[in-house]
Amino acid sequence: MTKPEDSPLNGRAAGFVTRLLAYVMDAVIVAGMIALGGWIAVLLDNLLETFGIETRAALAAIYVFVIPVIAALYYVVFWSLTGRTVGKWFMGLKVVNPDGHPPSIGRSFARLFGYLVSAVVFWLGYVWVLVDPQRKAWHDHMANTFVVYDYRRSSRDFVMTGQTTDEKAD
Amino acid sequence: MTDTSTAEHESQEPQPDAWATVVRLVAGGIGEGVDRVLQASAALDAMATEPDSGPMLVKENPDVMALVGLASELPHLTASAAESAQRFAYPVTRTVGVAVNTVLYLAEVTGVAPFVAGLTEPTRTAIQEERERLTKVGTAEYARGRVLAVYSFEESIAAIVDLVSESPELAELVREQTIGITGSAVNEVRQTGASADSLTEGVIRRLLRRPAQGLPPQVVEEP
Repeated sequence: MTKPEDSPLNGRAAGFVTRLLAYVMDAVIVAGMIALGGWIAVLLDNLLETFGIETRAALAAIYVFVIPVIAALYYVVFWSLTGRTVGKWFMGLKVVNPDGHPPSIGRSFARLFGYLVSAVVFWLGYVWVLVDPQRKAWHDHMANTFVVYDYRRSSRDFVMTGQTTDEKAD
Repeated sequence: MTDTSTAEHESQEPQPDAWATVVRLVAGGIGEGVDRVLQASAALDAMATEPDSGPMLVKENPDVMALVGLASELPHLTASAAESAQRFAYPVTRTVGVAVNTVLYLAEVTGVAPFVAGLTEPTRTAIQEERERLTKVGTAEYARGRVLAVYSFEESIAAIVDLVSESPELAELVREQTIGITGSAVNEVRQTGASADSLTEGVIRRLLRRPAQGLPPQVVEEP
């Protein structure tokens, strides 16, 4: 069994394709969360309607304001705790400060706001990664963060258990 | 809890081969199944030669229902039971019936019916009874064969599933293979993505007439 070893790319800025794939995965997850919230709201509305309780307006308001907040928290919580969302973990990426640590909550919120700014002009802020010397998107510039490669290769056991076969045998 | 020497010994053993394990399980299952079929076949033969075994209805006969339970290991035997019932019981009764009807018809058309009827009445009655008996036996055998075939199939599948699911060797093998495939696939995607990053950036730089870049910029030391 090969021992896990750090990728030689670790700490280097991640490129456009990898970041795009991670972004799409996260977008799918967030869309799923929003759809699930809508489904629960409709279910709740139908349930309460059978008891003669009119809640549609209230549930619509909750859905419009609260669900997007929950979805946004997905990014902020993951970034500030580990530097990785699910999509970024899968693609072996990590969001870090210049010192290499995960961004703070405030910096994560700034980066999330930067997502909106980057998307305003035909997602030009995202594509900027292709021409930026440090592979930074607009939101990375706004929050002063980097997206770097961070994974271990040949680590089939480590991926799932955090322990190599050799370590298990010891 | 595994001590150190055992762990070292285990770590030196070769990894189990997936196909070898599966083949061993299937071959073992087939061998065991054949033995059970032979044993059950002998039991069925013993039951069939009992003097009291006559025409019967499947659901009313405890022996048959016991046989249904026994049939969990009898796929071949039950299939042949159904087949033999179809092949022999019905043709026999049909042939006997045709023969009886032919005799009666000939007696009728030749004008000796009253005379022949008197002579053949006992024989005809006996044949009719035998025909009814054979029909019942054939129906019972056929129905029993179908029931046994269904039970055999279901029980055989359950037995195979049990055999496979209770195999610790196979469970360990599946676990290791799953982990390996998952981990390898994730690493493959990551490395391919990193290559695609460099390729895409190279194309863009060429279009913009910028100098090519080697490795991606090292923006932070590894945390």
